[in-house]
Amino acid sequence: MPNESPYQRMLQQCLRGELRVLNAHLPCEQKALSALLADEYPNVVCHDGSTHLFKRKELEYLASMLDTDEQAALLLPMLIEVNPGQDDVAIICRGKAEEKIITKILDMPVTTRQKRIMLYKPQVALIRKPLKTTTQYLFSPKSSGTLAPL
Amino acid sequence: MPQLIKVRPTKIELIKLRRRLSLSTRIQKIVKDRLSILMLEFLQIARETAQARRRLLKEFSEAYKASSIAVGYQGYIALEKELIASERDLEITTGSRNVAGARVPSFELKGAEKATRGYSLVDTSSWLDQTAQRAEKCLEDIVMLAELQSSLELLGREINRTKRIVNALEYLIVPSLQATIKYLYMKFEERDREEKSRLKRVKVLLEQR
Repeated sequence: MPNESPYQRMLQQCLRGELRVLNAHLPCEQKALSALLADEYPNVVCHDGSTHLFKRKELEYLASMLDTDEQAALLLPMLIEVNPGQDDVAIICRGKAEEKIITKILDMPVTTRQKRIMLYKPQVALIRKPLKTTTQYLFSPKSSGTLAPL
Repeated sequence: MPQLIKVRPTKIELIKLRRRLSLSTRIQKIVKDRLSILMLEFLQIARETAQARRRLLKEFSEAYKASSIAVGYQGYIALEKELIASERDLEITTGSRNVAGARVPSFELKGAEKATRGYSLVDTSSWLDQTAQRAEKCLEDIVMLAELQSSLELLGREINRTKRIVNALEYLIVPSLQATIKYLYMKFEERDREEKSRLKRVKVLLEQR
């Protein structure tokens, strides 16, 4: 807009950059736990071109909770979806493996609804503590109350 | 009093401003969420850093205690001879991970604990084993503390930056957009009123003729 002040223009540019970096760290493709365990340096390539390295200890911790079939079914990194203006977040869950892991870490039963496990933020902190590199945040641009289709 | 944006009082500008307002409000919500996630991670890492530091100090003091007892048993020169053979290179895998848009380093020590340490188990006391075990744990803790501390600094910086953006949106951009939209609405209403009174006046004049 030509009649905008330079300060306004700068703020708009800042905001545009902010939205750009928000989901740039998401992986181009998720890898199965069994495949990552076989890698020497387990990593995935992100959308911004960088590589996201997994810690072997975390992978082994996850493997200790799952059997061989579930290890092949579990895709990493697990995505934690943050919806704007909501107090709870959702863990995107494609199979039973994610549900089993979350149940074991939180030590409480969880239910999957619309391929998502709904959790409160303090519970997310509990999950992020042992799974720092195997989980990633996803900021959903959808407005509050609606879940983006998978 | 929020500052008004200089725009022409037209309907097109009003539509543009309303679009900008809805976009800004959405961005504000997302950035606020990001800030809350960053704060959550920051507090978590701060707690872990404090724990790791306490643990490291404890491990160090125990390692020094065990090593001084081992030196007392065997003598400094004999122990040094044994330890020369046990030197080995350490491998640290470095990478990065992303926490809500903030890139933080990730370090992992490879093979710190080994079954054989290179020195003779017959010629050395069990205190040396204990010292080696403690030292290996210290190494692991040092690497972990390095990762946590640098993550803490980077997250702190990112929180500051995000907070400035949230404040700018909350106290500057959104209020000025709202005020300008309100001003434009008032302007249009004023124009309507002017138009009505002019028509009335014209009607009266026509009737007088």
